[in-house]
Amino acid sequence: MKKFLATLLASAMVVATLSGCGQAKDEPKEVSSTTETAVSETAETESGDVTPAQQAILDRKAEAEKNGSYEKVIISFFDWTGAPAGIERINQKLSEYTEEKLGVDVELLIIDSAAYSDDIKLMLSSGEQVDLFSTCGPGYMTCVNNGYTADLEEDDLLGTYAPGLKDVVRSDYFDACRVGGTLYGVPPIKDYAIQTAAICIGTEYLEGANVDLSRFTKDSLGYYKCSWDDVDEMFAKMHEAFPDKTVYSTQDNMLTQGSCVDNIGGDYYGTLLDPANSLKVENVYESEVFKTWCDRFYRWNQAGYISGDAMTDKNGASARIKSGSYMAMMACGKPAYENQISGECGRPMTVFDVGEPFMSSSAVSSFPWCINQNCEDKVAAIQVLEALYTDPVVANFVCWGEEGVEYVVNADTTINWGPGVDSNTSEYYPNVLWMMPNQYAAHVWEGDPIDVGEQTAIFNDTCPVKSKALGFTWDNSEYAAEYTALQNAYEEFSGKVIYGFVDPETGLKELNDALKAAGLDEYMAAKQAALDAWAKEAGIN
Amino acid sequence: MEKEKKVGTDKKTLKKRLKRYIPIYFMALPGLLYLFINNYMPLPGLVLAFKKFNAKKGIFGSDFIGFKNFKYLFATKDAFVITRNTILYNLAFIVVNTVLAVFVAIMLAEMTSKIKKTYQCLILMPFMISMVIVSYLVFGFLSSDNGFINNTLLRALGKEPIKWYMEKKYWPFILVFVNAWKVTGYNCIIYLSTILGIDRGIYESASIDGCSKWRQITKITIPLLKPTIIMMTLLAIGRIFYSDFGLFYQVPQNQGALFAVTNTIDTYVYRGLLELGNMSMSSAAGLYQSIIGFILILSANLAVKKIEPESALF
Repeated sequence: MKKFLATLLASAMVVATLSGCGQAKDEPKEVSSTTETAVSETAETESGDVTPAQQAILDRKAEAEKNGSYEKVIISFFDWTGAPAGIERINQKLSEYTEEKLGVDVELLIIDSAAYSDDIKLMLSSGEQVDLFSTCGPGYMTCVNNGYTADLEEDDLLGTYAPGLKDVVRSDYFDACRVGGTLYGVPPIKDYAIQTAAICIGTEYLEGANVDLSRFTKDSLGYYKCSWDDVDEMFAKMHEAFPDKTVYSTQDNMLTQGSCVDNIGGDYYGTLLDPANSLKVENVYESEVFKTWCDRFYRWNQAGYISGDAMTDKNGASARIKSGSYMAMMACGKPAYENQISGECGRPMTVFDVGEPFMSSSAVSSFPWCINQNCEDKVAAIQVLEALYTDPVVANFVCWGEEGVEYVVNADTTINWGPGVDSNTSEYYPNVLWMMPNQYAAHVWEGDPIDVGEQTAIFNDTCPVKSKALGFTWDNSEYAAEYTALQNAYEEFSGKVIYGFVDPETGLKELNDALKAAGLDEYMAAKQAALDAWAKEAGIN
Repeated sequence: MEKEKKVGTDKKTLKKRLKRYIPIYFMALPGLLYLFINNYMPLPGLVLAFKKFNAKKGIFGSDFIGFKNFKYLFATKDAFVITRNTILYNLAFIVVNTVLAVFVAIMLAEMTSKIKKTYQCLILMPFMISMVIVSYLVFGFLSSDNGFINNTLLRALGKEPIKWYMEKKYWPFILVFVNAWKVTGYNCIIYLSTILGIDRGIYESASIDGCSKWRQITKITIPLLKPTIIMMTLLAIGRIFYSDFGLFYQVPQNQGALFAVTNTIDTYVYRGLLELGNMSMSSAAGLYQSIIGFILILSANLAVKKIEPESALF
C-alpha cells in the first residue's frame, strides 16, 4: 500500500509539473520519456490551470502507461436474475470509454437480488475489492453502523474530485444522507416523493367488469382520481365478473406505500403520524390510519377478495398478477408509473390515485451509493461515481447496455429494443432504473415522456406533505435487543390482522400487547430523544 | 532395574511405532490441516461477540462492549420460548429419529430380497431434497386454497377444511414428522453398517439353539448396536442448542402466527438480525450455542461414563 502510494505520489508530482507547461494533457504518452527535462524545465512555473480532478486522471493514465494496465474500479449493485449474460462485453466496452475519459477500467459486479445483501456485506467485511456499491439491499444505516462506508468529504474528496456531483444532486439531498454530520453516500436521482395508495388494476378486468372510467377525473400525473368507496365498488364488480380470480394481490405495504406515516429512523416502531407538522413519535399500530387499513382488509377478506394463502404466499404482488390469477394490487404512484407497472404485471394496468403525495424522512437516504472504506483509490472511485451521475455515455451503458445491441435510439432520442432482442433475450437488462445513480442521464424508454427527469424533479419539489424530519437518521444499535424482539413480535402478530384474517379489534390488541411486551415504549422513547436532539441541532421545531 | 528396562522398551516401541505409523500420519495430514484451518484458526474471532464491530477498526481493533451483544438472547420474553422450542424439538427428534432409524436399519438388514437396495435408495431420497423444496411439498398438502388435505382428504371425509398455517397445535407433530421423514434414511445408514458388521456366527449359533428372529433382534442386534446408539445420541446432544434452520423457517413458510411453536434460537436470530446485519450479535448467538452445547456434551458423556464406562465417547 505504502509503495503504491509512493509511486502514485511520485507520478503525480511528475505529471503535475509536466502539465504546467501544457504538454501532458495532449500527449500523455511522452510522459515517461520527457520526465527529466520536464522537471527541470518547469521547476519554476506553478502548476497552472489543471484542476486536481483532471490531474488525478492524468496521473492514472501515466500509471497505466507504466504498468501496461489500468487500475480498476468495481461497482456493485443487484438485478433480478444475477450477472447478465453480456456483462463481460459491457464491462469491456465501458472500460474502453472510461480508460480514455477517466484513466480507469470499470467493472460492473451485478449480483442476484436474493444474494446481494449477504454477498456485499461479506465483500465489505472481508476486504475483497469493491469500490462503489449501492446500499439497496444491506441498507444504508446498516452499512454506516458497521463502518463499511467511506467519508466522502474527507480531505474534501467530493468537492475536489467530483464537483459535478454537486450540480446534479441538490445540497439538501446531500444533507439528508448525512449521519452524525458525516456524508457517507450520494442518493440516486429518482422520485423521492410518492403518490400514496395507487391502486393498479388490470385493464382487461376493468373492461370485463364493465367499469365506467369516464366518471373519474385525472390527477396531475394522469391517473384516475378516485375514493376508497369507488375502489370497493370496482372490486365488487370484478369479483362478480371473474369469480375464479382473486381480486386483490396482498403485500405488507399498507404503511410504506399506502399512508403518509413517516417510518422515522428506518422502522415503524415509533413513527410520525403527522410528519409535516409534528415531530412527536407515536405508535402507528394504535393509530386511526392503521386501524382504517385493517378494517378495510378485514372487509375485503370477508368479501372474498383476498386469497386464503395470503399469509404464506411470498411471491411479489405484481408477479402474482402476471400469473393471471390475481387482478389488482396497491403500489405508490410517480411520473411514468403506468408503463413500469404494466411491464411488471405483464399486462396493461390502469392506475387509480386514491391517496396523496408524501415525502418521508428517509425518502432520500434510503439507499444512497457509497464508497467502500477499504477502497484503495477513493479518488478514482468518486470520479467514476461522478461519471455515473453526469456522463450520459456511462449512464447509458450501466442502465441499458450497448447501443445497437441491447437498444437502438429513435429519432426523438427515446430508445427501444435492439434488433432481435426483448426483455427475455437481452444480454444486459438489469431493470433496476430506480436504483441507478442517475437514470435521467441515460436515454428514456419509448412510451415514457421524454422529460420524465424534469417531471420527476417537479413532482419531488412540489410534494405538499414533506416530512419535517427529512434527513434524520438514527443509529439503533444501542437498542438492538429491543429491535430484535419487536421485529419478531411484529412478524408473529401482524400477518393475521393486516391481511384481514382476524377481527381488527382483537388482532390489533394482540399485536400491540406483543409489541409493548417487546419493549416498544423504551424503543420509542429512545427514538424521540434522538429526534429531539437532531431537531435542536438542525434548528427545526 | 525392572522399571528402567520397561522405560527403555517403551521408548523403543514408541520410536518403532512412530516409524511404523508415520505414513499414516502423513495420510491424515490433509484432514488435520483442514480441521486446523477450518475449526481452530477462526477461534480468536470469537472475541467479536464482545465487541461492537466496525469494519474501519477491524475485528481486533473494534471497541469492547462486554456482554451487551448477548442481551437480546436473554432479556426479552421471547428468550424462554425460543430456548424451550429449540431444546424440546431436539429432544423429540433425538428420540423419534433414533427409534425410527434403528427400526428401519434392522428391517433392511433382515431383508434378503433383491430389491433391498431399491428400498435403501428410496428411503434415503428425502434426505437429498433441499428444505426449500420440502417446504413446498408440505405446502402442497396443507395449503388452504389448493392443498391436498383440505381439498381432497378432508372433503372426501366430509370434514371442514383446516387453516393449517394459522393453527399452532398441529405444528409440533408436523415438524417432527417432516424431520423424521427427511433424516431417517440417512441416520439408518450408520446403524445398518454396524448391524452388517456384527459377526454372522453369533446369529447362526443362536438360531441353531432355537432362537426366534425376534429374540435374535432383542438379544443380539440391539445390545450390539447400543454403543453406536449412545455415540450418535451424544453427538446429537452436543447440537441440542442448534436447530435445523430450513426446517423451522422454510417449512412453516415463515408464518408469524406459528412463531410460538416454530421459533427457535436460529430463526429468532435470523429474523432479528436480517435487517440489522450486526455481526457481533450473531457471533454472540453462535458462541452461546456452542458453549451450552459443549457443556451438555461433557455432562452427557460424564453420565454415560458413570453408567456404562465402555460406551462413553472419551
